[in-house]
Order: sequence, then structure tokens, then C-alpha cells
Amino acid sequence: MTDRYVPWLVGLALAALIVVPIFVQGTYYRFLGIVVFIYAIVTVGLNILAGYAGQFSLGHAALMAMGAYTTALLTKALAPLPFFAATGLHIWFGVLAGTLVAAVFGALLAFPALRVRGPYLAMVTIAFGWVIFKILQEWVSVTGGDLGLSSIPKAQLGTYLFDTGSFYYVVLGLFVAALMLQYRLVSSELGLHILAIKHSEIAVSSVGINVYRLKVLVFVISAAFAGFGGTLFAHQQNYVSPDNFQFFSSVFFLLAVLFGGAGTLMGPVIGAAVLTILPELLQDFDKFRLIIYGCFILLTLYFLPNGVMGLLAARGIRERRTAIDSTGADAKSPHKLAATVGVALQLNNVSKSFGGLQALRDVALRVEPGTVHALIGPNGAGKTTLINVATGFYPLDTGEIIVNGRPVTVRSLDDAANQGIVRTFQTIKLFGNMTVLEHVVVGCARHSTCGYLGAVIGRKCARHEAARNIAIARDLISFVGLRRYENMPANSLAYGHRRLLEIARALAVRPQLLLLDEPAAGLVAEEIHSLAHIIRQLRASGMTVLLVEHHMELVTSISDRITVLDYGVVIADGPPAAIQRDERVIAAYLGKPHAAP
Amino acid sequence: MTGTGHMRVAAAIMAASFWTWAAAQAQEPIKIGFAGALSGPASFVGVEIKRGAEIAIDEINAKGGIGGRKLVLVSRDDEHNPVKTVAQYRELVEREKVVAIVGATNSASMLAVAPIVNDTLKVPVICPATDATAITENDAQKQGRDNYLFRVGMYGTGQGNFMVDTMVKKFGHTKVGLLTWTGGWGVTGRGELQRRLKENGLSPVADETFDNSDTDMTPQIIKLKNAGAQSILNYALVRENTFVVQTKEKLKDSTPYVSAWGIAGPAFWKAAGAAGEGVLTSTTVTIDGPQPPERMAFVNEYRRRHNQDMDAAVFAIGAYDAVYLFTGAIERDGTEPQKIRSALENIAEFKGLVKHFNRPVFTRDRHNAVTEEDMIMTRWTNGQMLEVKFDAKGPHVEIDAQTKKYLDKSNMTLL
Amino acid sequence: MYFFFQVALSGIATGAIYGLIAVGYSLTYMTTKALNFALGMWVMLGGMLTYSLIVLHAFSPLAALPIVVSALFVLGIVAERFSVMPFLRAGSDVWVMSTLAVGFLMIDLAEMIWGRSPTPVPPFLGKNPIYIGPLSVLPQQLLIIAAACVTFIALDLFYRRTLLGKAFRAVAHSGETSSLMGINTRRVQAVSYAAAAALAGFAGFLVVPLTLAEPQLGTVLGLKAFAIAIIAGLAAPRGILVCGLAYGALEALISGYFYTGIRDILGFSLMILALFLKPEGLFGKPVEERA
Repeated sequence: MTDRYVPWLVGLALAALIVVPIFVQGTYYRFLGIVVFIYAIVTVGLNILAGYAGQFSLGHAALMAMGAYTTALLTKALAPLPFFAATGLHIWFGVLAGTLVAAVFGALLAFPALRVRGPYLAMVTIAFGWVIFKILQEWVSVTGGDLGLSSIPKAQLGTYLFDTGSFYYVVLGLFVAALMLQYRLVSSELGLHILAIKHSEIAVSSVGINVYRLKVLVFVISAAFAGFGGTLFAHQQNYVSPDNFQFFSSVFFLLAVLFGGAGTLMGPVIGAAVLTILPELLQDFDKFRLIIYGCFILLTLYFLPNGVMGLLAARGIRERRTAIDSTGADAKSPHKLAATVGVALQLNNVSKSFGGLQALRDVALRVEPGTVHALIGPNGAGKTTLINVATGFYPLDTGEIIVNGRPVTVRSLDDAANQGIVRTFQTIKLFGNMTVLEHVVVGCARHSTCGYLGAVIGRKCARHEAARNIAIARDLISFVGLRRYENMPANSLAYGHRRLLEIARALAVRPQLLLLDEPAAGLVAEEIHSLAHIIRQLRASGMTVLLVEHHMELVTSISDRITVLDYGVVIADGPPAAIQRDERVIAAYLGKPHAAP
Repeated sequence: MTGTGHMRVAAAIMAASFWTWAAAQAQEPIKIGFAGALSGPASFVGVEIKRGAEIAIDEINAKGGIGGRKLVLVSRDDEHNPVKTVAQYRELVEREKVVAIVGATNSASMLAVAPIVNDTLKVPVICPATDATAITENDAQKQGRDNYLFRVGMYGTGQGNFMVDTMVKKFGHTKVGLLTWTGGWGVTGRGELQRRLKENGLSPVADETFDNSDTDMTPQIIKLKNAGAQSILNYALVRENTFVVQTKEKLKDSTPYVSAWGIAGPAFWKAAGAAGEGVLTSTTVTIDGPQPPERMAFVNEYRRRHNQDMDAAVFAIGAYDAVYLFTGAIERDGTEPQKIRSALENIAEFKGLVKHFNRPVFTRDRHNAVTEEDMIMTRWTNGQMLEVKFDAKGPHVEIDAQTKKYLDKSNMTLL
Repeated sequence: MYFFFQVALSGIATGAIYGLIAVGYSLTYMTTKALNFALGMWVMLGGMLTYSLIVLHAFSPLAALPIVVSALFVLGIVAERFSVMPFLRAGSDVWVMSTLAVGFLMIDLAEMIWGRSPTPVPPFLGKNPIYIGPLSVLPQQLLIIAAACVTFIALDLFYRRTLLGKAFRAVAHSGETSSLMGINTRRVQAVSYAAAAALAGFAGFLVVPLTLAEPQLGTVLGLKAFAIAIIAGLAAPRGILVCGLAYGALEALISGYFYTGIRDILGFSLMILALFLKPEGLFGKPVEERA
């Protein structure tokens, strides 16, 4: 089964959904269809949050409720007015308002929820769902309490009132629109960044993306989908009550995401469809309902860990994930780096302690612009801590960081990246099975000015930027020598190549100061030669490089200056030759054989 | 291994197709539908409705059915969830082609389906269990269109009136406190009680509420006591009421406690035990104390079939009467749902288990069979719900045909 | 003043139950970074089993206790093997769904075995309230408070003084390293899960005379206990009892001084706020990320 058949299948399914209901008697199947479409819309929203971004929320039923109740109250209030009775606009205002209100609540929920992760995140979303449920139950004068709001106006356009049969087509259209929106979101730069977050938030932060803000954005988008689904629900049922929006419903949506295949385009649709239709088919088993449900969840998790879509993927039917086109190999791309202006870095009296452990004590360091400066010392000396402090990962206790003569505050990794300070990591942080090209394109994030919205709606400037980023990424991939592996998943690369990939990604940010944390660790001799060559070229292009390393040959061969740390204190600082002869350094670190003869 | 998931779905679809086909073959019987809670905490209501209806149907079929056609009950579990109720009503009418429906267990469900029943499905529904007034006083009724919703059980406005009037007028209490459930029909109940108190020129001395997760009602009982309530009016189900009476016992509080029909069944005594002694309950019918023979026959038949006593007789009896009402209507005017509906409005007399109606059961303007005049107040006495009757000497209960015990109006103990 | 203390006292007893269940969450989280999301259903199972033994089979509470606790321990081992262990892949939160699934199964099974009507279980020490001055408290409530305190002290001693307890703490810190040190990490994880189940059973055993035996017994209890575990800090068992008691009292006081309806709204909102301000839990230690 190739990619080619899938569009045909989708088209066929769509045609069936449009045509078949015309021939079916009664409203039951159309009603069921509407319910499936609505649940699918909510599930798609949750899929973006839980499937793509990896944040498991168990409070989406509450967000759906926000949409439903908002439109219910608004339309009930406006319906009697003659203007709205004639135009039906109140319905569409209600839908819009409901979606917006849900989005706002999504943001409100995101603030506390995203401060934590895992079960803590789940707990916050559950608590949120519970609070909303209780408010709906208690605030009787507004929400009608447990008995809810009835006589919600039917959907209307002009003076035409939609009945079940015609509303089916409206909802079908909106459902298709929601799917298209999901596709655009996921295959845009936004989708790429969201996927990256699932794998390593720290790495995403290091290329200049504010991870927290991005996650909030994803939450809001997800909430908007849920709220939108809720508004349609209200106008279809013409009745809402808190019963419909309980914890169990949130579980249903998450299960639908998992069953269909988290992080796929069609997964949420399959999940919502099966989970809604199956109980209808099993009407006679009502005694065993929860048992069947529980078994269903367990079986799904055992046998379909990646959902139905995962099952299909294992048989070769895969979705194309992003819009990054792998075609068009340009053999003639230059292997030279663009020129850059390296900055001078100076650390004065920097101290950092963790509880009782003083990791850095009064460290002074000066890195000249456009040079390669090495930082060496025994394990535990504080080298990585120093990098962490310089890039804002840890706040420093005392001291200051001065860049090009001006003191700066570096608040976080992304803040550092936006000031031109980029780092790589001692333990390589890559994005799972995203391709090499995708990795480096993520690194280009800082230079995209068009914005996520532009990318999603497909503005021209976004398309140009995307193409430009791909070109830049290709150049850098060639530069580090990974051209051949451009479209391979990163987790299939050899260890040495992964290091190079991380460097390429860091370079995409166009740093003026690059901090490499033990880049040679785990590399073989030949790879270290390539690494040295790369670093020399970086220097030649004007970049400032701070290198933390243990490999003395590499250090002495390429460094302009070396600083030695021991127990958090600078014990030596000077050109390689001097360091190799320094008594203290030899005693603390080098040992006799590495000293100069 | 990965095919297992597929096989399950396929098997389920095949099974469902077969059943649908088999059902389609048997068009002959007259189908009566029911969708209610058959699982979950409210299932004791749904199960009683189903069983009561089944007893009635079997009796009718034993006598040859209606015009030679058998009656069949098609039931669904809506899990007390209005969304499911709505879907199942559509399915029952459009796929199963039921001609009449016995009402659901959840007032919220009935409120949700009422507009659809009146506008689209147009099949008569008689509710034995759901209390919210707006179910029968719905848009269609208010706009003078055909109203397909009927009721044989307690209804909110009437029950509220009855409870308040009994305590205020018959027991002479002026300081009345409220203690209601925030869930379900506790909300409307509270509204009804407040309304009737106001109509009597009173307002509640305390207005307390509780929700599903409360197991200890200490704060509420203390506040009611401090407010000087002479009696406490309640709208809730068995579970919460058990905690209320247990708390009252713990705090040594003997304020008369009057509950709506949520605890009108042995399930309450099973849960609360002796702590429930003296609690008053409004309802339509009780199977304790001296009984007419038809009701005894019903009770015995239930016991024979299910090897247990009823958990909530009032609902089973209501369902039984609903089926017989439908039967009467069908025998008069045939199986077309619209004709059944109009026939229901024209039943001049009916010997129901709930009561013997010697006036029209329903009229165009009144779709509630049981009115305030028909409702009774009962007292939980040693595990039985005995009807509280009033004579010149005051309120009393009949322990048996010979023994009468009068009640102390301040704490409902037997004198 | 009477009102304040009377209400708070009832709340503290409920809080003790929250604490007992909450510590179960902490136990499993510390050793597996996963937890039994449906622990409340296990509480229910303990309660139903207690009901069966005491009411249907006339066991005395003292005789029923070891049966309930060991039955749940065994069930915990089995459940862990099939619904948690297969999903302990790093970075996956799928155990949330699998443990929930087991919970759903348990509710239905309980309904099938025991029926749906709530039934009472006689309190172990009689029904007559005990009077402390003007305050009345049920003997069962005092029993619960005492049992919770004893359990916590015992757990604390276990962690600090016994070898197995130290093994637990080692695994909580790092499963891999503990393996290297010769600790059977798998076994510790399974045992901690089963111990949490047994604790839940114990909680059910204690609480069922106060509530009613029914399949829905544990759902809300489990949820609130989970919230308390999170607020206190999943990795800080000592704070859990304090948080549980405090929350129980707070709940009751909100009900008493305002009205019941906003109890959960305020309570859960406070929880969300607490997590927002201190993501690692009130008693937890901030986790420093390593880059």
C-alpha cells in the first residue's frame, strides 16, 4: 500500500459520508454521525496536545463544557430578539464565543498545569475538570444546576432552522475543516516545534524557542477545538447538563487518542468513531459495559501501543508527517559557513552552589572574540555547571556575565540563544525519530519572523522562510558532513554522527558564541579529526567557541587559550603550552605523561 | 497478535448485524420501549421499572395479548446519562419501531428528550419515576400542541406543595428548614419547596445542601438545629439520606425529618437501619400496612420471579400501571402512536395499582395522573412505610388492621 | 467555638482516610515513577470485602482485617504484573490509562458480585458517640485517626530503620543503580505496588462502617487522596498525613461556614494554586534538572 492510495481512500470515505445518508431512513444514523463528528473534533484537539506535544490532559470534557454552556446561554438570550430571529447570527456568535471562552480557559488551565508534568499535570487537569463540573452543578441560577439548560436554539442560517438531517452536513463540513486545520498545524513550523518538545524540551529551549509559551499555545489551540466541539454539541442536543462533561468523558477522549494512534492525523478520527459506534452496536451487553470498557482499554494498550494507526504503520501504511520535502538534493551547495561576528565573553566572580555543594567559586574567565577557548579540569570540577550558568540554565548566585563589554542577564536557555549564545550538551539531546534535516530546521526557529499563524495559514512570507530554512539546514548538514543522512531518523545515526547533528542544529541558530560540552566524548580518532576541522572552520568564520573537553590532544591542537577548573575554582589560565607546564594543573589533572616534555 | 483487535471489532459488528436482522424479522409483536439506568448507582430504579413493566406485559400476554398480538418490552441501559437516553429514544422509535415508551430514571434525561419526543419522534411516554415538573409542563404543552409526555409518579410541583402543606397545615409547623441534594432533581425540588413555603407566607429558617460525596452532614444538621427548625424537608436519594439520619443520630437530633420519594423503598431501611425510624416520606403508594388484594398479588408475583422483595416498589408499580394504561389506549384506538396519545387523554376510569382512579386519569391540560390529593405521607416504622392518616385525634399510623399509633408532632415518635 | 471544633473534628477523621490512601500513591510513585491511578477503587474493594466478611459471614473485625489486607496485597501483585509493569517504559504515561482500566473493571465486577444497593456495615466499636466535652465523635472516627497515625509512624520507621525500607528508598532514588547494588528492583517495585493496594484495603476496611458498602465508594475518595498526595509531594510521605488531616478539616469547615456546594470548588482550586506555587509539592524538595 503506498502513499498514493491514501488520498483516494480518504476521498472515497468523504463521498460515502456525503451520499449515503441521503438513502437512509430516519434520523438515527445521521444523529449518530453528528455525534461522531463532534467527538472527533474534540479528540483532534486533544491529539494535538497529548499526541503530538505529549501533555496528557484529563480535563478536556470541562473545556468542551465551557464551549457548550457559553453558546447555550448566549443563544438563549439573543434568540428572541428580532434581528437574530431573522438572521440566525446568534448561533454563529455563540459558536465563536464558545470557542473563545474555551480557549481562554485553556490558557488559564495551562498556567498551573504546565508548571508540572506527568501525574502532576494529569492531576491539575483532573482538578480543573472537577472544579468546572462543580461550578456547573452549583451555580443554579446561571447553569440550571444538575438539570442543565434546555430549549437551546437549533442551528439556524437566515430563517432556515437546521434539522438533524441538514445539520449533519453542516457538522460534516466543519469536521472536515477541523481536520484540515489539524493538518496545517502539524505540518507547519509550529507542528515541527511541538513534536520536538515531546522529545526534549531542553534542546528546544536551547535553540531559542520559549518552550513554556509554546506549550501554552498548544494548550489554547487544543482547548479551542474542544470548545468548538462543545458548541456544536449544544446546538445538536438542544440540551446541556453537567452529566455530559464528567471525568469519564475526559477519559473517553484520551482513550480515543490512544486507541486511534496518538500523534497521527487520522488517529483521533478512528478513535472517536470506534469508541462512539461500538457501544451502540453492543447495546445488548449493557450489564457488562464497564467490564468491556476496561478490557478494551487494556487490550488497546497491550496490542495497539501505538494505536490503530501504529498498527497500519507497522504494515507500511504511514502518514507523511511534515511538509519538509526530502526531494531536491542540491549537490553543489557550498561547504563554507557564513561569516559571523563572535562576541567576547567575560565572567567575573561567578559563584554557584547547590545546597551545601559549592560548584563554582569566584570564577573569572575571559574568552576573546573569534577564538577557541578550552575549559578543562577533572570530573566534577564544575565545567558543565559553568556552561549552564553562562547559558542561563541555572541562575548564578553571585558575579556577572559580560558580553562584548556589557553586562547581561541570561534568564534561560532560549534567552541565551536569542542573545547569540548557543550550546550543545554533554548527554546528547535529540528529537527521537525526527529526521536530520528536521532537527536542523528546528534550529532555524530564531530567524523565522513570519510567526506560527502565518505558517499555519500558508502566507507567502512563511513559505519563503520555510524554503530558506531548509536551504540553510542543508548547507549546515553538508558542512558537518552528514549530507548522506539528511532524511534518516536521528535515532538511527551512529553516536559520532549524533554529536555532529547536535552541532549542526546549534549552528542553525547562528550563534556568536558557541559552547560545546565535551563534543569529543565517545568519538573515535577519525571523528575527532573531523571535529577539530569543523571547529577550526568555525573560528575562521569569526565565531567565538568555548570548548569543554577532556581530550587533551584535541584541546591543545585547536585552542587559543585554556582555562583549568578544579573544585569550582580556576587554577590556571593561559595558552596551551603554558598550561601543559603548569605544576598545579599537572598535579590536579594532567599527570606526568601529558605534560610538555 | 495484532489481529486480535480487528477480530473483536469484526465479531461485534457481525453479532450486531445478526441481531438487527433477527429483530427485523419479528415485526408481529407490539413493542414498548424503555431506556433507563440499568447499571450504576441509579440502577435500582431502572431495574424496578423494567421488572414492573415485565410483570404487566406477561399478564397481558397470558390473556392473549392485544388483539392477538403479543406485547414486547425493548429495553436499553442509558446509564442515567441524558446523552445516551436521547440517542436510545431515537433508536427505539426509528429502528425498533416502538409505539410507546416507559419513561427513564433521570429527570435530566427526560428533560433532554421531551422536545425531541414532541417535535420529531411523536411516541407517547409515561414516566413512572422522574420528578421534574417541566417534563410534562413542557414547551408543547405551553404552546397548546400535542404533548406526548405523561406521568404516573410524583411530580415536582405537586410533591413540593404536598410536603410543605402537610407539615405547615396538618402538623402546624411554621419554622421549616430545607436540606436538599445539589444533584439531579434535588435542584428543582429545592425550588419547589421554597416556592410553596413562600406561598404559605413563610421562608425556610435554614436552606442547607449537600452533594454526592458528603458522608457526614454535621455542619448542616447543626445549622438547622441552631436555626430552630421544627421540621426538615429533604429532596435526595437513599445514600445521602442514610448519612443524614446517621449524623442526626450521632448528634442526638430528633427534629422531624421529611423526605421526598427518593427513599420510598426498602433500600432505605437496608442502608440506614434503625436510624431511619420516624422519617416521613411522601409518595404515591406503599406496599406496607393493610393492602388491597391486587397489590398483594403484584408483590407476591415479584417475589416469585426474583426471589427478593422490591427495592423501590413505587417505581415498579408505576411501570406496571403505565403498561396497562398503554394497553387500554391501544385496545381503544389501535397501535398508531398518535392515536395512543390521544386515547390516553380520554381514559375516564382506571383501576391502577397506584390507586383506583374514578376520574379521568389524564386530561389535555393535566398529564400528571397523581395529583396532590392522591399523594400520601408515610412514616418509616420498623422497616415499613406506613401511611400517616389524620383523624380528629391527630396523625397516626396503622400497624395492622387493629392497631393505631398516634404520632408526637414535635419529633414523630409513636405515642 | 463548639461549632468550629465539632465540624473540624469530623473533617479530621475524613482527612485521616485521605492520608492513608494518599500514602499509597506516594509508595508506588517513589519506586516506579508510576502509580495506581484508580487506588480509590481498591479502597472500595477493601470495603466490600470487609462487608462480605463481617456482615455476610459473621467474622469479627479483628479476624477480617488480616484477610482483607492480604487479599488486596496478592491482588496488587497480580495487577501490577499485568497493568503496570508492561507500561513502565521511560517517558510513557500510559500506565495512567491501564490502571484506570483496572479500576473500571473492578467497579463492574463489584456490582456483579455485590449488587448495587448500598448496604451498611456495623461500626467496629459500636454506634454510641464518645463525648469529649460537648464534642461528639464516633468511635469509628477516632479509630481511623489513631490507625492513620500508627500507620504513618510505622511506615516512617520502616523506611529509616529496616533493610527493606532502605532498599525502597534506594530504588526510589534510582532503579538502575539499585540493581547494580544487588537490590532486586523488580521485586521492590512489585512489593511497593502491592503494599499500596493493601493500604488501600486497610483504608476501605476502616471507612466502610462510616459510609455504606457500595461499588461507588472509592471514586471520589481516591481522587481527593490523589490530590492530597500531589499537594504534599509524591516523594514526601511525611507531609502526606499532615496535608490529609488539614484538607479534611478545611473541607468540613468550608462546608460549615459557607455552604457545601463550594467546598470542592474552593478545595480543588486551592490545590491547583498550591501546585502552581510549589510544583514539587508543599513538602517536596525541588528537583534540579540536569542539562
